[in-house]
Amino acid sequence: MGFLAWLEATGLAEWVRSSQWGYPSMIALHALGMAIMVGLSLLLDLRILGWFAGIPLQALQRFFRLAWIGFGINFLSGSGLFSAQATSYIVDWVFMTKMTLVLIGAITAGILQPAVVKAGPNAELSGGMKGVATFAIVVWIVAIIMGRLTAYL
Amino acid sequence: MLDGLMDWLVSTPINGLVLNYAWSWPTLESLHFLALCTLMGSLLIMDLRLIGFNRIIPLQAVHSLMPVAIVSFAINLITGLGFLFGDPHTYFANWAFWAKMALIVLAGLNFLLYFTQVEPKIIRLGPNEETPALAKAVGAMSLIFWFGVLSFGRLLPYLGTGGG
Repeated sequence: MGFLAWLEATGLAEWVRSSQWGYPSMIALHALGMAIMVGLSLLLDLRILGWFAGIPLQALQRFFRLAWIGFGINFLSGSGLFSAQATSYIVDWVFMTKMTLVLIGAITAGILQPAVVKAGPNAELSGGMKGVATFAIVVWIVAIIMGRLTAYL
Repeated sequence: MLDGLMDWLVSTPINGLVLNYAWSWPTLESLHFLALCTLMGSLLIMDLRLIGFNRIIPLQAVHSLMPVAIVSFAINLITGLGFLFGDPHTYFANWAFWAKMALIVLAGLNFLLYFTQVEPKIIRLGPNEETPALAKAVGAMSLIFWFGVLSFGRLLPYLGTGGG
């Protein structure tokens, strides 16, 4: 708790908590990064499952990179938001469930991205990778719901 | 006129459905957020290809994402109407809400421009073919308008409520 109390007392946390633009700017960036990371991930996962088959798998690599930019935006904005109320968030099971799911979602992207890069022209991914993509879709959907519900607890 | 509309919105049974159950509002919000993700994800792939990013994708294949964008928008229209029926006075008094609606109208007009002027010319373009300048402009405007819609939507509770 020492670290979290210190974090809450930093200038960044104070700025997010009480300045006019701190919280709104962080929350807006967080929605933007979410749309990029989760929106692209859901569609890339669907493509791996065989939807939109006209899009070559090789084209997915660049969108994975773009998705990671969204992830970076959310890591930074999320850190700012977390710092403002660190000691409350850490004991909120909805928030902690969301964070776990986001971490798992990121790992699925980390597994699927190299598999897509290795796939040859006109190739599709294995059944195992399709399983990862299905799992990823469920994880992202529940992560979004838990993130939204964090505001209520 | 707006007063009459607001009175009507709150007099409907939908108003009660949205307000009288603890789970209605968070459920509408969760659906609104999920569909905004799939809307923006599909738009990013389509619009960036129009602009010239990732040209190995044939345009017809990009076009196969259009139903995702349309269904996602429909979900957000319906859930968004749920918020309006629930609390019209707060939204109608908020300038950020009107800015968001104006951007949705602009995005709709931009889509009409795509549908009538751009799509017929590009739908047969194969991989690695260059899109015309109008297609690039329409793709860029689409991303600007929709990310604007997202930003104003998320900032709505903090803007235009008197304080900000």
